[in-house]
Amino acid sequence: MANRLEIQDLWASHEGKMILKGVNLVLPLGEVHALMGPNGAGKSTLGKVIAGDPNYQVEKGRILLDGEDITDLPPEERAKRGLFIAFQYPVEIPGVQVANFLRLALKERTGEEPPIHEFYQRLKEAIELLDWDEEVLSRYLNEGFSGGEKKKNEVLQLLVLKPRYAILDETDSGLDIDALKAVARAVNALRGPEFAALLITHYQRLLNYIEPDRVHVMMDGRIVRSGGPELAKELEKRGYDWLRAEVSGA
Amino acid sequence: MMTVSALDLETPLSALDEPAWLKEEREAARALFARLPWPTAKDESWRYAAGRLKSVPFDWPLALPRGKTLQKEELPEAVRERLKGAEYAGLLVFLGADLAYAELDGDLKEKGVLFTGLLEAARRHPERVRESLYRAVPAKDGKLPALMAAAWTHGAFLYLPKGLEEPRPFFAFFLHEEGTLSVGRTLAVLEEGARASYVEEHLGEGAHLAASELFLRPAAHLVHAHVQTQGEKSYHLYRQRALLEKDTGLRDLTVNLGADFARAEVGSELLGPGADSEMLGVYFAAGRQHHDHDTLQHHKSPQARSDVYYKGVAKDEGTIVYQGLIRLEPGAQKTDAYQTNRNLLLNRGARAESVPKLEIAANDVRCSHGSSIAPIDEEELFYLRTRGFSKESAENLLVAAFLEDVLGRIPLKDLADHLARVIEEKVFREPLLAEKGR
Repeated sequence: MANRLEIQDLWASHEGKMILKGVNLVLPLGEVHALMGPNGAGKSTLGKVIAGDPNYQVEKGRILLDGEDITDLPPEERAKRGLFIAFQYPVEIPGVQVANFLRLALKERTGEEPPIHEFYQRLKEAIELLDWDEEVLSRYLNEGFSGGEKKKNEVLQLLVLKPRYAILDETDSGLDIDALKAVARAVNALRGPEFAALLITHYQRLLNYIEPDRVHVMMDGRIVRSGGPELAKELEKRGYDWLRAEVSGA
Repeated sequence: MMTVSALDLETPLSALDEPAWLKEEREAARALFARLPWPTAKDESWRYAAGRLKSVPFDWPLALPRGKTLQKEELPEAVRERLKGAEYAGLLVFLGADLAYAELDGDLKEKGVLFTGLLEAARRHPERVRESLYRAVPAKDGKLPALMAAAWTHGAFLYLPKGLEEPRPFFAFFLHEEGTLSVGRTLAVLEEGARASYVEEHLGEGAHLAASELFLRPAAHLVHAHVQTQGEKSYHLYRQRALLEKDTGLRDLTVNLGADFARAEVGSELLGPGADSEMLGVYFAAGRQHHDHDTLQHHKSPQARSDVYYKGVAKDEGTIVYQGLIRLEPGAQKTDAYQTNRNLLLNRGARAESVPKLEIAANDVRCSHGSSIAPIDEEELFYLRTRGFSKESAENLLVAAFLEDVLGRIPLKDLADHLARVIEEKVFREPLLAEKGR
């Protein structure tokens, strides 16, 4: 099926340990979904496996992007097809300036140098949306950034690279309330028929600012329940134990 | 190992047109060369390089001057490309042992600046050459320095009179020829308070031995670069010594990117208070290249400073070696001496060695050294790839980032950009067959 990211019965392991145990998930273009669940449920692993992290072994199942099987594609090919992941722990790369990095990344994705004026306009708008300082553009990528700044930098890349499908892996953790609002503002600005996002999060907090179309709950390597935004609110109120009991009882 | 008898120096060298005192110096060096032993792996400094030294074809015919000259428009493409848009004070181009082209700003000529071939200078300005030649890199330093002293046939001579400051660089290009053994020698003398930049680039093929002697009289400042981008079937053995008197500043750059086997021995002697020697190094061995480095920071005076910062990259089955010594004589109090060597390996077959050393005979000093050898960071690589960078582009970006702080310290923007391009080509080049699939 075109216009969706689809995970079919995905099993994946890391250093011999099975972490994903049959994930099924459909993220249609135009929608924002939240992926919740307790620590160790496999949420981040799912994000990395979708992005093509070579440290994880896909044992079974498929990942389809706009109907194309990308399960065996290298990470850069997935990126070129419109996939993006905002990492929970972005790496620091001293010696590469943020602006230069973004320019090169756009060039790698499209095969041509972005027009200078247009590029800086895009940067400027993104910086404003994030309520940030342009000074960040001349800093080295994530070097000396606070945890919150690193997350904002991931969202800056999201805004500039404009992917069609974005996975945000706990982008809300470690953010103060102003930064959280800025990130939410950015994601909401991207919302539209040509954009889809999967928000991996522990908490309802981010979802107060970004209303998800669907909420999925992951436990022990599987999606155990899906529902509307009210599911997130219920989890916020009652925790995960009741759901765990229901699932194991079922 | 080459036998001495197979290396006939006497016959070819006797034909050189040069003053008698120089012939005598050569003769003495030749005798020393015959007597001294070849370095072996037992010599600490040659521990990793002695094996590769055996592969250097010392029996190739010695490159001798043939009187070849070029007009400016006939300069080789590689040189013209490098000069495009560059401003310079003087230019020397050597083809083999011939000084084929020489140019020096007329105004500087009038002010007493000399920039010409060393052999030409020995004939026409013997007093200027004789007082410094062999004083920084004497024949007695070893087998190869003796050979370098006995057999040099060409090279650059730069002389700046007292107080002369020239902002534009002086360039010398050496194009070495296939199947020849060539021996070059460079002498730079900056009189009191003089300031200059001198860049020497080695291109082409063959086996080349190079010695550079740099003299900084009080308060002189020199930016110096020795850049080797020779073909990958060539050899390059280099020894440099700089003598820094009081209040001098040397900013030095050694670059090894080409040759099958290249070795650079780079040293600064700090002879007066206020002397400051910054020594940068950049190297990148791919294929089966071996790049070997040996630095010396020799503090003979108190209150001087030296800083070595060498960074290397290796891929395929390339080998990069760094050995460095900070030596402080008993009188060298209030010294600041630093030494850092960092190495990046792009794949498993590549190899790096790093051996920093301190010998300190003074007690009131600040000295530090550090070294590291690390593979390319898989996490960084994955991060960049999720942004759309191919594996090669991501590696290139990480190599450029790794070398950025050295290349960024070179005050010659043109040169830094050129080196970045050469490095990029090496990163993108097809890996060796044996490396595929690793």
